[in-house]
Amino acid sequence: MQRSTTATAPRRRRAASRGTIGLLLLALPGVIWFLVFAYGPMAGLVVAFKDFNVSDGIFGSPWNGLQNFVYFFSSGDAPRIVVNTILLNALFLAASMAAGLLLALMLNEIKGHVTRRFGQSVIFFPYFVSPIVISIILQAILAGVGGRGGMLNDFLNVFDLPQPNWYTTPGAWPWILTIVKVWQLGGYTSVIFLAAITSIPEEVYEAAALDGASRARMARSITTPLLLPTLGILIVLGVGRIFFGDFATIYAIVGDNGTLFPTTDVIDTYVFRSLRTVGDFGTTAAIGLFQSLVGFVFVTAAVLVQRRIDKEGSIL
Amino acid sequence: MSVEARIDTLSDLGVEMVLDEIRPKAAKAPRRRPDAFQATSYVVITIFSLFCLIPLWMIVAGSFTDESELAAQGYSFWPAPFSLAAYQMLFTGTGLLNGYLASLFITVVGTALSLTCTASLAWVIARRLPGISRPLTIFAYIPMLFTGGLVPLYLLVTQVLQLSNSWFSVILPIMLAPFLIFVAVSFFRQLPEEILDSARIDGAGELRVFFQIVLPLSKPILAVLGLFYAVTYWNEWFMALLFISDPDKFPLQLILQNLISNVTNAASLPGASAAQAAAPVYQLRFAMTVLTIAPILFAYPFAQRYFVKGLTLGASKG
Repeated sequence: MQRSTTATAPRRRRAASRGTIGLLLLALPGVIWFLVFAYGPMAGLVVAFKDFNVSDGIFGSPWNGLQNFVYFFSSGDAPRIVVNTILLNALFLAASMAAGLLLALMLNEIKGHVTRRFGQSVIFFPYFVSPIVISIILQAILAGVGGRGGMLNDFLNVFDLPQPNWYTTPGAWPWILTIVKVWQLGGYTSVIFLAAITSIPEEVYEAAALDGASRARMARSITTPLLLPTLGILIVLGVGRIFFGDFATIYAIVGDNGTLFPTTDVIDTYVFRSLRTVGDFGTTAAIGLFQSLVGFVFVTAAVLVQRRIDKEGSIL
Repeated sequence: MSVEARIDTLSDLGVEMVLDEIRPKAAKAPRRRPDAFQATSYVVITIFSLFCLIPLWMIVAGSFTDESELAAQGYSFWPAPFSLAAYQMLFTGTGLLNGYLASLFITVVGTALSLTCTASLAWVIARRLPGISRPLTIFAYIPMLFTGGLVPLYLLVTQVLQLSNSWFSVILPIMLAPFLIFVAVSFFRQLPEEILDSARIDGAGELRVFFQIVLPLSKPILAVLGLFYAVTYWNEWFMALLFISDPDKFPLQLILQNLISNVTNAASLPGASAAQAAAPVYQLRFAMTVLTIAPILFAYPFAQRYFVKGLTLGASKG
């Protein structure tokens, strides 16, 4: 007995190792990519503690302790961009969730398979429109040709309403960006909710119909409660990402328009601008590290909460 | 343990849905009379669809409208007076061609690299090899929680790898999406073990099993992943903004962005001559926008179902 195991074990191990080498070869390109492009930058974060200059390089530049962090937090920009980041993301999250949920409930009422499919395709499309294109559309709507006033102001003109110059009105931008987000993500979110609706057993609706429930009643008292776990997970994940602004969309739209910074400048846009204009790598890396650390806390908390919901949720 | 558990939940939720159409059940529930909520739904969905489409249509209409009319009357739903000036300009210059070339290279080469690396790494993780798969899972998972941020990446690409002005500076930093790797893992774990075992008994090596059995069986998921990567590459402009400064190498999105920032200067379009500097700026911008989204617009009707499926897969992780 003992002998037979010792006899077969090496053979099996040899066979396994031969296959394993092939598998390791398969994994190699991905592993190298992660080491260079995911873990490399993490190591590069030492720049945050250095007085970086290009000629000495990342590891040769002199240390300067927490100087970069002190500089950032005493610059007075920190509260503004942190508040903006959290506020804007919270607004985006709430609006796109509400729109997605509502659209899913309503798409679900569309009878014909083809019609519903078509509607779903149409409202999903904006998700694939790049931030730059969104920015161009927005300028057409809000500024128009040569600043003559865009479509929106033409429309307001009909009703004799005030026609502000939108690109110099910071107060309006959290809402404008939120509408952009609903345009961009409303359909996308509704597809996720529709998928969850698919898994609701049909009998529930049949029973409700027998009891004389209206469609609105079914949507409110059956579908919506059953979608709550999905909603919970999406919100938790959104909150987990709350420290990472959607850089691309905001920067593509606002760009370097300083008038709008008070309400639209988020951590990512701030980091990018300081990198480009000031070229202060140390401070910029320090802000990035601060963002990553706080973001890490949020994401980890979100993952833990999500696993809780996952266990309890009956739908997902 | 925790990470594995998370991935298992993902696969539970995901893969049947990938294979299933999204077919809302409630719509099939018995119904006796037209319902107020139903009517409202039709109205709201129609309005929201228009809300999604009209901005895009305005761009298309604007790209065919004479610039002087745009300046005098603003935008209209129908291009009048009709003008092809902007398109003529774009098609005679070399800028557009270069832009398409750059975007195509980034998208095609990038998607090929992304797919290859994603699928092979995902398969090794999905194989549950003792001592290998679990560490790899964690290895690929950590970057979803913590990132080095912009500055170290910038230094890496420009100083260490010296990739400035190469299209690979756009491809490489976004080449692998950990999330999509785990989507692939969850799909691979659903493949019928018997087929793989019978191949192994017939003496097929691990590589052969992967290339000749796993990949052909995984075409649906490869299509989903490929489409997601392709759209990401096509729409990517931030990496190009950071790393590409040679106008001849600008991808389309970056050319477009330059058209926005230099509002009054159409000469910023690479390949534009001095004579074209007095060109129809806004019309040109719209035409360029139309040409940039055109490929997505044409591919969308065919690819849309895959996107919906892929999204459903990722539903719980967003």
